Amino acid sequence: MHQTEFNYQRKDLPAGFSKYGLIFLVAGIVLAVASFFIDQTRAAFNYLIIYMMIVSIALGSLFLIALEYVAGAEWSTPFRRIPEFFAGLLPVLFVLVIPLLFFSHDLFHWAHEEAIKEDKILQGKAPYLNISFFVIRTLVFIAIWVLFYFILQRNSRKQDTSKDQTLTTKNIRFSAAFIPIFAITITFTAVDWLMSLEPHWFSTIFGVYYFSGTVIAALAAVTLVVVVLKEKGYFNPWITDDHLYSFGALLFAFVNFWAYIAFSQFMLIWYADLPEETFWYLTRWEGSWVIFSLLLIVIHFIVPYAMLLSQPSKMDPKRLKFISVWLLFAHLFDLFWLVMPNMQPLKKGYIFSWIDLVFPILGIGIVLTVFNFISRKENLIPVGDPKLKKGINFHL
Amino acid sequence: MHIDYSQEAPAVAGRLTLSQIEELVARPLDTKPDRKYFIALSISGSLLLLGAICLGISFYYGIGLWGNNQPVGWAVPIVNFVFWVGIGHAGTLISAILFLLRQKWRTGIARFAEAMTIFAVICAGIFPVIHTGRPWLAGYLLPYPNQHSLWVNFTSPLLWDVFAVSTYFTVSLVFWYIGLIPDFATLRDRTTSKVKKTIYSIFSLGWRHSSRHWQHYEKAYMLLAGFATPLVLSVHTIVSFDFAVSILPGWHTTIFPPYFVAGAIFSGFAMVVTVLVFVRKIFNLENIITLDHLEKMNKVILATGMMVGYAYGMEFFIAWYSGVQAEQFVFINRAFGPYAWAYWIMVSCNVIFPQLFWFRKFRRSIPVMFVIVILVNVGMWFERFVITVTSLHRDFLPSSWGYYKPTFFDMGILLGSFGLFFTLVILFTKSLPVVSISEVKAVADGAQPTHRGGHHE
Repeated sequence: MHQTEFNYQRKDLPAGFSKYGLIFLVAGIVLAVASFFIDQTRAAFNYLIIYMMIVSIALGSLFLIALEYVAGAEWSTPFRRIPEFFAGLLPVLFVLVIPLLFFSHDLFHWAHEEAIKEDKILQGKAPYLNISFFVIRTLVFIAIWVLFYFILQRNSRKQDTSKDQTLTTKNIRFSAAFIPIFAITITFTAVDWLMSLEPHWFSTIFGVYYFSGTVIAALAAVTLVVVVLKEKGYFNPWITDDHLYSFGALLFAFVNFWAYIAFSQFMLIWYADLPEETFWYLTRWEGSWVIFSLLLIVIHFIVPYAMLLSQPSKMDPKRLKFISVWLLFAHLFDLFWLVMPNMQPLKKGYIFSWIDLVFPILGIGIVLTVFNFISRKENLIPVGDPKLKKGINFHL
Repeated sequence: MHIDYSQEAPAVAGRLTLSQIEELVARPLDTKPDRKYFIALSISGSLLLLGAICLGISFYYGIGLWGNNQPVGWAVPIVNFVFWVGIGHAGTLISAILFLLRQKWRTGIARFAEAMTIFAVICAGIFPVIHTGRPWLAGYLLPYPNQHSLWVNFTSPLLWDVFAVSTYFTVSLVFWYIGLIPDFATLRDRTTSKVKKTIYSIFSLGWRHSSRHWQHYEKAYMLLAGFATPLVLSVHTIVSFDFAVSILPGWHTTIFPPYFVAGAIFSGFAMVVTVLVFVRKIFNLENIITLDHLEKMNKVILATGMMVGYAYGMEFFIAWYSGVQAEQFVFINRAFGPYAWAYWIMVSCNVIFPQLFWFRKFRRSIPVMFVIVILVNVGMWFERFVITVTSLHRDFLPSSWGYYKPTFFDMGILLGSFGLFFTLVILFTKSLPVVSISEVKAVADGAQPTHRGGHHE
């Protein structure tokens, strides 16, 4: 078979990345600030959704990088820079988390001392659910992620010039160490920021549930950028259907994984019918929330499942582009469904507010701007990676 | 240690030629069994006999001979069932999921692992049937329209088990057989015995290795892999439902489905490594079932072992976090109550010892891996024991507290199931090719169309 000769010339990203990134960012900040003045609680809940969305993309991307190293995957090596750029959002979390800590009283019922006084169960949880420990956990987790991000991306970039294979060995070791730490930190992030919004509710699978959505979000973001850049001629001609197929197949697998975890959680709680667990689902069945709950199944499972089932659809760039955007929306919708019914005025059903539409604009702005900023001087492919050639010549 | 990441380790070591591969795999089928073979067979056969006798006596006198009591109504029989179903997860995972993930290294071990799956599911199937106490009524487990309008309880996960396990068994068997067809044809073509030729001819279904045959075969194999993949996950998911749909603290928790699946893969891989360590040595298959393959299996054991550890930890954390008193009691009781010994056997075998696999040296050392996988097998049996017995033995009222001890008959039947399993494994090694000849040839050196002048890509 013909071996593709490979000469990489660095090209700047399409101008759209920075232009639209900036427009979205400025518009998002203005609208978000305005909404905080109009309805602080609602804005805080919405901001939390966007924050968790960014955590999903950034942390999920770091996980994808680690997975590639640990599993010894080759097909994804040519695209590894894309998740590396997305993981560059991790240091930004230090800034992004500040407003949330500031508004924690609006978000968390357990943060009110008078609420704890009357509530025996919350008193029992107080050693874990208290503001100071909560803040420490959050900051320590972000610091750990940032640390691994810096190590992995620095070694990867050093390799561009040095072509040193021991850097791959180092990154494999750090990745292996990262994965169990990732499992623990993402679990408690999910418990802290999503599950404790309803502090009486508990579910052992919840960390896995958030993890499944995280991987979908990160994979979808990476797939989207890869397909867009391929269309603009950045990866041609050596990117083949087989590479795209792998993205499609992984998305398909994780769509199923999410459905499996979501079903397991729902089914066991529904079947056992214990009031201390069912109330969480019953809130999401209240009033107009029932529509959201049913739509979640359609948006997050049925549609992507049907669209990715057949073999040709997994490698069709147009289909992949559409489904990546769709799945990013699906994860956002999932987060919305997890977060918003916990807001006191919305407990009886969803009431529309324009504030809910503002924050995704801010999110897109942040992600695009940071992506553009980080990738600006870097090679779009890891040119010094020893697995690169095998990755480019990858065939099913 | 220096590794060149731009090169790929060959799936078949020792630069074997295609005919050498065929010769190596088919040799045990051409030669008469030796003394060692009969010694092994008589040991496993004796265990099987012991189990059969214990079972026969149990049928005659009733299951009062077992240790099951109030409040521990579910005990070793269910533990054994879950244990064996778990063992049965590696084979189809290797042959279906790793096939879909295009992992070439699966070819050397897939056939044996699939066979073990089938035998393990056979062992598992015995226990729910005998646990009912009236095995002759087992036919009623299958729902069918009848004059009495008697129906099974469709809302019970125990019935879903009947469907899940039997479907899994059927698909695994078909999958195994489809993979065997080209090998039957190869054996048919090389045997000199008339009887064998007839048998192989029948089972090879007229296979001629034509490209049209291969085309159909690959499509069928792909489709079956697609069907089998959700089955691998669903079987142990439904087994976990047996416990988790109840409202019993210690059983009812939402992480059970993925936790059980991870545990099943963990124990299944451990059992496959246990057996393969011997098989590759006895049948000189070191170049086909290489140390690289075993190392990869050990990595999977490490990963799934930590998933299981994650589940243990999460259960404990949420038991505390939930604020539910009964939940908290069960977990404290599990770790520090009368069954603490079982709990700590489970934790050390499943979570602590497999951590040695972090080191490449241990992953590639046959004695070390053998000890660890044996411990994992033990630990996974105890995991099911801990889940089942510790959750039951201290009921909500202290007046209904008790202690469960398995009797001689319980243990006899467990040993008997091991006897059955290993008897089937031993018979398998002499009657069918233990490695897929055609698949290994396809990944061997020089078989790939991209191969040029001894240079790998």
